[in-house]
Amino acid sequence: MRFGWLMEAPPGTPDGARAVREAANRLPTLSGTLVSEDGRATAIYVPIERKRDSRRIAGEIEEFVETFEGTEQYHVTGLPVAEDTFGVEMFRQMAITAPLAGLIVFLLMWFFFRSLALVAAPMILAGVTVVATMGLMVGLGFSVHIMSSMIPIFLMPIAVVDSVHILSEFADAYPRIGDRRETIRKVVDDLYTPMLYTTLTSAAGFASLALAPIPPVRVFGIFVAIGIATAFVLTITFIPAYIVTLSETSIENLRTRNVSAKNTGLLARMLGRVGSWTLVSSKSIVVVTVVVAAVSAVGISRIQINDNPVRWFRPSHKIRVADRVLNEHFAGTYNAFLVLQAGDASRDREALTTAVGAYIEAAADQGPDLTGAWAETIANAAAVSDIESVDALVDQVFRRLDEADDDAADLWEGVLVLLEDAQSALKVFQTPEALGYLEDLQGALAASGLVGKSNGLTDIVKTVHRELREGDPEYLTIPATSAGVAQTLLSYQSSHRPDDLWHFVTPDFRAANIWLQLKSGDNQDMVLVTEAVDAYVADHPPPEGVAVQWAGLTYLNVVWQQDMVSGMLNALLGGFVIVFLMMLVLFRSLRFDALAMLPLSVTIGFIYGMIGLAGKDYDMPVAVLSALTLGLSVDFAIHFLQRARTIQAETRDWPATVDRLFAEPARAITRNAIVIAVGFLPLLGSSLVPYQTVGLFLAAIMAASAVVTLVLLPSVMNLMRTEVTKEIGDR
Amino acid sequence: MKRTLTRLGPAFFGLAVLGAHAGAQDLTDVDEIIARANAAAYYAGEDGRAHVRMTITDASERSRVREFTILRRDVDEGGDQDYAVLFSRPADLRNTLFLVNKHVEGDDDRWLYLPSLDLVRRISAGDKRTSFVGSHFLYEDVSGRRIAEDRHELLETTATHYVVKNTPLDSDGQEFEWWTVRIDKKTFVPTTMEYVDDTGEVYRRIEALEVQNVDGIPTVTTMRASDLRSGGNTVSEFTDIEYGLGIPADVFTERTMRNPPRRWFPGR
Repeated sequence: MRFGWLMEAPPGTPDGARAVREAANRLPTLSGTLVSEDGRATAIYVPIERKRDSRRIAGEIEEFVETFEGTEQYHVTGLPVAEDTFGVEMFRQMAITAPLAGLIVFLLMWFFFRSLALVAAPMILAGVTVVATMGLMVGLGFSVHIMSSMIPIFLMPIAVVDSVHILSEFADAYPRIGDRRETIRKVVDDLYTPMLYTTLTSAAGFASLALAPIPPVRVFGIFVAIGIATAFVLTITFIPAYIVTLSETSIENLRTRNVSAKNTGLLARMLGRVGSWTLVSSKSIVVVTVVVAAVSAVGISRIQINDNPVRWFRPSHKIRVADRVLNEHFAGTYNAFLVLQAGDASRDREALTTAVGAYIEAAADQGPDLTGAWAETIANAAAVSDIESVDALVDQVFRRLDEADDDAADLWEGVLVLLEDAQSALKVFQTPEALGYLEDLQGALAASGLVGKSNGLTDIVKTVHRELREGDPEYLTIPATSAGVAQTLLSYQSSHRPDDLWHFVTPDFRAANIWLQLKSGDNQDMVLVTEAVDAYVADHPPPEGVAVQWAGLTYLNVVWQQDMVSGMLNALLGGFVIVFLMMLVLFRSLRFDALAMLPLSVTIGFIYGMIGLAGKDYDMPVAVLSALTLGLSVDFAIHFLQRARTIQAETRDWPATVDRLFAEPARAITRNAIVIAVGFLPLLGSSLVPYQTVGLFLAAIMAASAVVTLVLLPSVMNLMRTEVTKEIGDR
Repeated sequence: MKRTLTRLGPAFFGLAVLGAHAGAQDLTDVDEIIARANAAAYYAGEDGRAHVRMTITDASERSRVREFTILRRDVDEGGDQDYAVLFSRPADLRNTLFLVNKHVEGDDDRWLYLPSLDLVRRISAGDKRTSFVGSHFLYEDVSGRRIAEDRHELLETTATHYVVKNTPLDSDGQEFEWWTVRIDKKTFVPTTMEYVDDTGEVYRRIEALEVQNVDGIPTVTTMRASDLRSGGNTVSEFTDIEYGLGIPADVFTERTMRNPPRRWFPGR
């Protein structure tokens, strides 16, 4: 029997290297884990104490590897690195994509409003909102989590939307009124109520995340809501104040150039046509919407809930590349741990003392009566703060043995046998039965094909047993008795690293750990593994009292996802109800309330339907975006309906109302949709998939909710013309 | 340096002194200090026996106990030695036997008998800085480190101790850069050993927590090995210590491992 390091020093020759590889491949716990089966790759597993250190550690490793010469490639991956790196890159990306998005938003607004000084206002507002919100969050001592790092990108579009409404109305009304103060007073007057309500509904949508069971999601929701409120306060105070302080010349353009564009520009002409179209094609529009809704419903039913933090990086990102390469060579870079825990031992111990008591009582007829001495022994053992009470009992009995006369000694010997048998039995995962169960479970996992590899106590026991038998592969088995296992492990622990054993079993042998290596970190794949284990455990009950539990980041992500998805769904439903109630207060009309909910329902349905149809996974970013969808898509409907009511009250004629609705109000909505949708397109170029998702979502939300608001809403209202006009007329 | 006194270490079964240093004068010759400490630690009496209770505690405060009887016999005074360790607890390790035939010249012979597998295995020479049965003591702590493997310097002479620094002559083969030993000036019992890694940190410490006089021989009765990196430690308590029993040589042979003579291993 020889104890040696697998590789005490790097081998100097290819033969030496091959010898290391062969030695590693002989050990089930290392083959496919430390050395790839094709012999072309080797892995180092770095245990880390805190996830937040993982990116730094990975960076230091990469820096060190840089100094190597040679053609070998080095890859670093793993869920902790992916999650930690994501949080950091999120901020880095923020510094690139956010200003870029800001620039495009700025250019678009400049194109629409032709005044640099004027459009600077929303930019300042967005900047102040983001800085104030993040500052407050960090100042209050919240750490920046993956979730909270997404706050700025959510706040920017929301902050800009209200300003664009004001600027749009201002730009349209200013030439007509001609006085800045007068114009801004009228614009704020018109927009105050819809803006307040869009703010409240959006904030409510995010604040409802506070009900989610996950702290980072709560922090995210609450601070986005705070940011939205901040943006509103700034919109109705800072923007008017800013506009009033502008010099006449800086907004001169509005009067001259824009005046001609006002009712004859391309946008104005197109919107005018849309307005009249809704009057003549109301029915077809509703029918098309119903079809779209039906298709969306099919799409939603096909949504795949799945996530994998490694996939938050684009395919060419080094973490994704490392993930791919390493999982080709090795059994898997995603770790999950299956913990088998024996039940509470105190009941067994009680049963034991009772059994010993009975044994002593039975013996008292023929020989010495040790009943009193036994009670004393139990009391003494309990008084000693020893490792386990059975250990303490054995200790005490040994002491009795030393003092006892021959007759009593025989009896104490008998007691000792009972105690020591129980002591052995308590070490559940030292028994061949429990180890056999572990072995079968591992075999079933391997056979399922869902798991790259599993490592457990059985592998150590079997390998050492084989080595004790001179490496005879016939003996790659679990010894037949608990004592045989104990002695095998004693041999293992006479090595350089005796404590390695405790990775797989606790020192009391009452909990064992199976380390699973998975090739995929997709939550769906992890769920399949847990289902396979559940099915196996249901068919093959573990040794009595043993409970099976999961641990590890891959599994944690599944739990997180389940909480996240249900949390987001609840938040979405809660937000939906809150928005419904708020609009009931705003419109004081169930009919208008229902109308306002229509575009947002169709939009949300459409967007999630498309996700289902496109086969995109419903992951963390998509889940979080549901709150944004709700907040933003109700925005246009509120503006549209509020204006429709005001105008209808004046004209009392629906076609005339439509005509005016499709002037300033429709233009404001369209400009907003274009500014946000196009402005955030640079996010599509980001290396982080959630950014791309946000960019795509914003475009889809804006486009869908603008179209639905401007096309479906007037059509439905046209069909319900009598009721709608009657209701407005009644007020 | 005397060639016969070849080992120095933590005095695992440590036992004695070859008569206390007579003069009041401090010793200044480091080789002499080392030689006397070696004798005190490993060669007390011609043979000896002790019952050892070893409590292994890991960083999470989880403890487990191993108990065994250890026998030692000097083949030559200050030269070759035999050790036998027979486990009594826990029950599943009972009658597991570990045997060392320690040689001054050449490698030691080490054997292990695993009763439940009915296997006698020879442990090949080579690295001896492996764990002694899963504890924080190493095999080398049990049988001692060869004096000739290190260069010795007397670092300090305090009122009660000599402090000696030991630097391996060959830097391969051990995980430390150097180690220091505090040796009691009166008894020459090594009381504290500290092992220093390549960053200059002490990462491992062995201490004599209690020294008692057994048959006129100062004997370490409680010692602790601590892993300062992980926070685990092992405490060994020695009881029923006896010297000069006249244990015969055949107790320490591979042939008798399956059936160790009960006479020399009292109790179970």
